[in-house]
Amino acid sequence: MSDDKNHAGQVEDTSKGDVAFIQALAELLNRNDLTELSVKREYSENDRLTVSLSKQGKQVVQTYAPAPAMALPAAPAAAAPASAPAASEDPASLPGIVTSPMVGTAYLAPEPGATAFVTVGAQVKEGETLLIVEAMKTMNHIPSPRSGTVKRILVDDGSPVEFGSPLMVVE
Amino acid sequence: MFDKILIANRGEIALRVVRACREMGIASVAVHSTADSDAMHVRMADESVCIGPPPSVDSYLSMSAIIAACEITGAQAIHPGYGFLSENATFVQMVEDHGIAFIGPSAEHIRIMGDKITAKETAKSLGIPVVPGSDGGVPDLTAAKRVAGEIGYPVIIKATAGGGGRGMKVALDEDGIETAFRTARSEAKAAFGNDEVYIEKYLQRPRHIEIQVFGDGKGRAVHLGERDCSLQRRHQKVLEEAPGPVITPEQRAEIGGICSSAMAKLGYRGAGTIEFLFEDGEFYFIEMNTRLQVEHPVTEAIFGVDLVRQQILVAAGEEMEFRQEDLKIRGHAIEVRINAEKLPNFTPSPGRISQYHAPGGLGVRMDAAIYDGYRIPPYYDSLIGKLIVHGRDRHEALARLDRALGELIVDGVDTTVPLFRALLENPDIQSGNYSIHWLERWLARLADPNS
Repeated sequence: MSDDKNHAGQVEDTSKGDVAFIQALAELLNRNDLTELSVKREYSENDRLTVSLSKQGKQVVQTYAPAPAMALPAAPAAAAPASAPAASEDPASLPGIVTSPMVGTAYLAPEPGATAFVTVGAQVKEGETLLIVEAMKTMNHIPSPRSGTVKRILVDDGSPVEFGSPLMVVE
Repeated sequence: MFDKILIANRGEIALRVVRACREMGIASVAVHSTADSDAMHVRMADESVCIGPPPSVDSYLSMSAIIAACEITGAQAIHPGYGFLSENATFVQMVEDHGIAFIGPSAEHIRIMGDKITAKETAKSLGIPVVPGSDGGVPDLTAAKRVAGEIGYPVIIKATAGGGGRGMKVALDEDGIETAFRTARSEAKAAFGNDEVYIEKYLQRPRHIEIQVFGDGKGRAVHLGERDCSLQRRHQKVLEEAPGPVITPEQRAEIGGICSSAMAKLGYRGAGTIEFLFEDGEFYFIEMNTRLQVEHPVTEAIFGVDLVRQQILVAAGEEMEFRQEDLKIRGHAIEVRINAEKLPNFTPSPGRISQYHAPGGLGVRMDAAIYDGYRIPPYYDSLIGKLIVHGRDRHEALARLDRALGELIVDGVDTTVPLFRALLENPDIQSGNYSIHWLERWLARLADPNS
């Protein structure tokens, strides 16, 4: 069942407060001559606000995850926690992001118990497999879109991913 | 019973299914494209999964994405809604091969009814009346006269290879058949390189009458009367009502009985609609839709049943909750389709809804998936809501529709609401005197009063 936070009116009310909060952060960023700033607020279990501000390109990106819908509950077989980072961050806010091209289950290794395709800090070439997304019993290798370093891995092994879910950061 | 159902659709119909699930204590999973992240069905469902980019072909029509979404959420059944994958036999087969239940008929029944020729043959063999015709090419004028005499004038002569109105000629009586036959043949030859023609009975002012059927998939089936959907523009229905203003109880019982026994014989499962042209007291089969229809709420209103609930029950192998003798018509219901379209040309009008106020009160149902500030994406169809009214009789339903349309506010985009307000002032609509050609002719007269 959806709770009250799922309701459109509630979202709008909270949003107003969030706008003021983000404006305050933007001022803070300018005043202290910072280039990047990231804040995460946990209002309740399924209600978070993640703000990433960056002066480069003068972007202000806000992700607001009000609905439990956004935090995809794990399938019975998958062991991912509901608060997997995949669900809480906006792909657009992270440079070098690699997103999932399909719905499915993410696997970091070619088979259970095997060594992961990549780890944080690994150097990868363009086209090299980063992970697998399994959909309908088919293992889809997700290639790195560029050569670089794996900065972050945003999914757990066996966690469900949506189309567009952030998977890794490769810079 | 299922614990969790995935809805492979969007808009008001996805919301309709979410509502049925919630009343049955079943969790619902919405799937959506990136263009629909803020859609109402996503907000209202218990879970949601983004399955692809805006184009339907990569999201709502992506069989693999939808099945993968079932797998990651653990949904045991899929409700397809209408449109998209609802009548795709390949999809149904794939769903069932993955051990997921499809809330609808079998792949085989969808396949049979999806092919025009097989559908007509099947209907005929099940005792459903079809448009009388020559059953194939007519070689010469003598044969044409014989066939036309058998089926009765007026007749229409059509090119076997044809379509789009070319190679089609009407003969009103025997004097006209020679000219019509020769002209149709030469047009067919010129247009399609094939002069073979066939003959069918020509209906001049038919109505579109469709029979709602429902089967349990185990040999039991019922009918839920008819809907009159004659008011159409370019084959798109705009207003539907039930019961049909010109259908008598005897006609309903007869055609309904034919349809329900045909579905029982077929072993049909779930909701289906058998569409007919109706003229001079006779029904002529057009096609069968093997899914829930957009206009199902008018039937729900007059029979007091929840068709989506019944679909879910029979898909789970349970019994439907009514027998034919339980199904009694109470009153009259009308539905109008609120589309985001600009009159008079019905140009799609996507954009942001600045204000939405739904009508209420006795006998009013609004099935919509919009809200204040909702942005209608330009990728999908323009239906944004359906207003359904129910009254003790047709007169009361019409008055209620007028009242409810007056309360409805959809600001920020153009809608078809003004069309309905104008229609309600028309004496033909008030008396129920219209055929499938009525609306287009009326619109043409509005556009050019001299025509």
